[in-house]
Amino acid sequence: MPVRVLDNTTPSQVSGANSGKSSFQSCSLLGVGQTPLTPKIRHIEHGVPGFRVAFSGTQNVSSVQKDEAWRVNVRIQGCDLEHGYLCGSMEALNVPMADTPVVTFWEGEIVDTKNYTFFTGKWEATKEDDIRHWSKFPSFSPLLGQVEADGGKSLDLSNYPYIFMRWKEQYFVNVGTDCGLTIAGFYYICFSCSDGSISGFYYDPNSSPYQKLELKSTNDGRSGFSFSSYELQ
Amino acid sequence: MPTPSVPSDPILDRLASSDCEVKFKAIREVKNHIIGNRTKKLSYIKLGAVPAVAAALSDCDPNLIVQSAAALGSFACGVDAGVRAVLDAGAFPRLIGLLSAPDEKVVDAAARSLRMIYQSKLAPNYEFFQEKNMQFLLSLLKSENENLTGLGAGIVIHSCKTIEEQNMLCDAGVLEKLASLLHGSLSQRDASLESLAAIIRNNPAAVSKFVELHSGRALCSVTELAKDRYPRTRLLACLCLISVKNSSSCDLQDTEIKTELVYILLELLDDSGQVGDEAAFAFSSLIAEKEDLQKLAFEANAINKFNCLLRKCPVHPKRLEGIFLALADICSKLECCRSSFLSLQVLNLVVDALTHEDANVRTAACICLRSVSRSIKNLSAGRFMNERVVVPLVQLLSDLSTSVQVAALGAISNIVVDFMPHKSTFIQCGGIKELVQLTKSMDSSLRLNAVWALRNMVFLADKMCKEGIFVELTASSMASLINDPEPSIQEQALALVRNFVDGCVYSVEHAFAEDGIVLDAVGRQLQKSSKIEIGIQGLYVLSNIASGNEIHKEAVMQLLFPQDENGCCTFFEQFLKSNDSRIRTAAVWVVVNLTFPASPGAFSRIVNLRSFGIVYRIKKMVNDSCMDVKLRARLALGQIITFGDS
Repeated sequence: MPVRVLDNTTPSQVSGANSGKSSFQSCSLLGVGQTPLTPKIRHIEHGVPGFRVAFSGTQNVSSVQKDEAWRVNVRIQGCDLEHGYLCGSMEALNVPMADTPVVTFWEGEIVDTKNYTFFTGKWEATKEDDIRHWSKFPSFSPLLGQVEADGGKSLDLSNYPYIFMRWKEQYFVNVGTDCGLTIAGFYYICFSCSDGSISGFYYDPNSSPYQKLELKSTNDGRSGFSFSSYELQ
Repeated sequence: MPTPSVPSDPILDRLASSDCEVKFKAIREVKNHIIGNRTKKLSYIKLGAVPAVAAALSDCDPNLIVQSAAALGSFACGVDAGVRAVLDAGAFPRLIGLLSAPDEKVVDAAARSLRMIYQSKLAPNYEFFQEKNMQFLLSLLKSENENLTGLGAGIVIHSCKTIEEQNMLCDAGVLEKLASLLHGSLSQRDASLESLAAIIRNNPAAVSKFVELHSGRALCSVTELAKDRYPRTRLLACLCLISVKNSSSCDLQDTEIKTELVYILLELLDDSGQVGDEAAFAFSSLIAEKEDLQKLAFEANAINKFNCLLRKCPVHPKRLEGIFLALADICSKLECCRSSFLSLQVLNLVVDALTHEDANVRTAACICLRSVSRSIKNLSAGRFMNERVVVPLVQLLSDLSTSVQVAALGAISNIVVDFMPHKSTFIQCGGIKELVQLTKSMDSSLRLNAVWALRNMVFLADKMCKEGIFVELTASSMASLINDPEPSIQEQALALVRNFVDGCVYSVEHAFAEDGIVLDAVGRQLQKSSKIEIGIQGLYVLSNIASGNEIHKEAVMQLLFPQDENGCCTFFEQFLKSNDSRIRTAAVWVVVNLTFPASPGAFSRIVNLRSFGIVYRIKKMVNDSCMDVKLRARLALGQIITFGDS
């Protein structure tokens, strides 16, 4: 979700993913892997799974002067577990200075300890910033010791019921860059595989610290869970 | 209108003259006329000169035979009509017979002529499995005569197509003979390289034999020839090395050789002739499906190189096709490549090529578009969903070539995933009608890709868009697609239904139209489901329907547990017991939705589920080895327990 511009934005560095296969297990609530790729069976070898999973909640943007929370909708649009990649859109509903909801597109790094570790290594986040933010998630505490030692490289998170990610907004979908908002920062995200809830903290050295994002999966007024899917060729 | 000039003198009479001198001069005259002149060749063919020239092969005068063979070779060179005329005149067996003639000049001329014929697809297939043929081929390859070895190589290049033929040639020792030619003249080297490539292509066993040949020295020679000063030699050596690299896990896998191949082929693209055209195809086969090579190609600035080549006008259709296919391969996996492709505005050039007069170019442009549109980042930004891209693509859906139609459907399948609910650009240009029409095609690849495109189209579509598609498609057609003979079409059709019944609760009604014909088809397909993917999609259809209202949930119960069943092991229980965790996950989601606590009928459904052994099964699944299954089973059990655990 975009936040108000406080200072000049700093360009983000180029992502530096390590190669390596992920042994990460899929989680259907995140929509991941509902139609996984089986290239040897498929006549077209490039199937990429996709799904429709939506979440809604709030982001607390309170400052010293004022308590404030924006309503937020998030939709996961794509995922590539092998590369630890996830992407989607984020819609902020009651942004004071915008006439319409502001939609941004974000890309995520899944902390699978193969492609990405808990250490961000970019976006102006130091190891200390990383530890400080991850530590705000209760589910992180059992991992803290190992993460301090090596960023979590030696951890096997494939069966851990929480998925840690970083989400970085890439562009505004429906407003111009002159809208008075910035997407310079990024989110530390913790996704619960059991109930599909998402917690996150926005990090931008130039914005209010620890803006908390809280999302729950939505069901379009249904009595249960519904999933649609697409598959790219 | 100007017409080709037909010789005015009675050339046919002179060709048929009984005077050797007259006949010799006539043949020589024809030969000199037609050399390098396609129009003249066609004109003499039309005149009926070829049978007259061919008749001279049976003469006793060696000079006449040599002239005749040379003229026939010239007719056959680069003109299929010429090859056909030479074959029709019965010259082929005669020329083969002349290879054993005592006069070396005759042998040489016959071999040269046959080489020309073997360059054409129309040349008769050489049957390697006949022992005498194989012996004859080996004798050609070990000959001192360059035209005979060239002919031998030409026969291999022309006729070695299947794995059996490749293996037969390996077993007969053809590889050894060809390897010895690698140190011969320029034409022998090239012929040898091209034949080697034909024998080892997509054949790991043949590659192993080649790699071990002369303790690896043959491979070393080919690697050296990849740096030869002649472009064609370099290209052919690269083709051999690509075959080795693609079918072997250990040879040529180091980055240095891969990088070298990338750079050699990129440089060969500068050749303005056939070598440059073929280099693009070779480049494509080098990097296809290989992410590491695509990255190397990206780092070698390949996308920019192709961009520059495309902007040189006019580009030969063959080259255009090769470049689009190479670009498709570079952009098939890596986002950085797609990003560079888009920022260099190559998309405009590809879109222009969608209306190219050559069907192969149109197909390649669609394949390129399909590859680039795998970028979710750019799909989400609406980069492809605009009239400039969509209108020509939709027009290609009625193209006369099936390959173009299939390729266009592939690109459309991706482009319609724009994460927007209305899809108005696509609908306004009549795309839905075309797609629906193609789901009824006799060609299964068209049906498959059309259903696939519709499935992606309905993903996230709003009520109005879904309604429009549903009216055009109809429930009965959807049921037919679910029952299609092709399993891959069944799978896509079920995924389409799954997307139809997602979204607002009203959408679920689509499954109940026309007396529930769609739901019945889903149920039947699930009962006989032979393929995992079909089971997954079918179960998610039921899961989505079961997340609707009471009537929807009861319909799913009725489908899973018909009243005439007596509590024995149901097909649904088989899904819960499946070895495939994706099937188990989907099946548990159905239970989660059927037992959703806020629904009034949940309790009675739980009673029924218990009587069919499903609750027992769910209890066993709370410690499933797959975390996703385990968590969903716990959710379902938690819901069941709220109604008491009796």
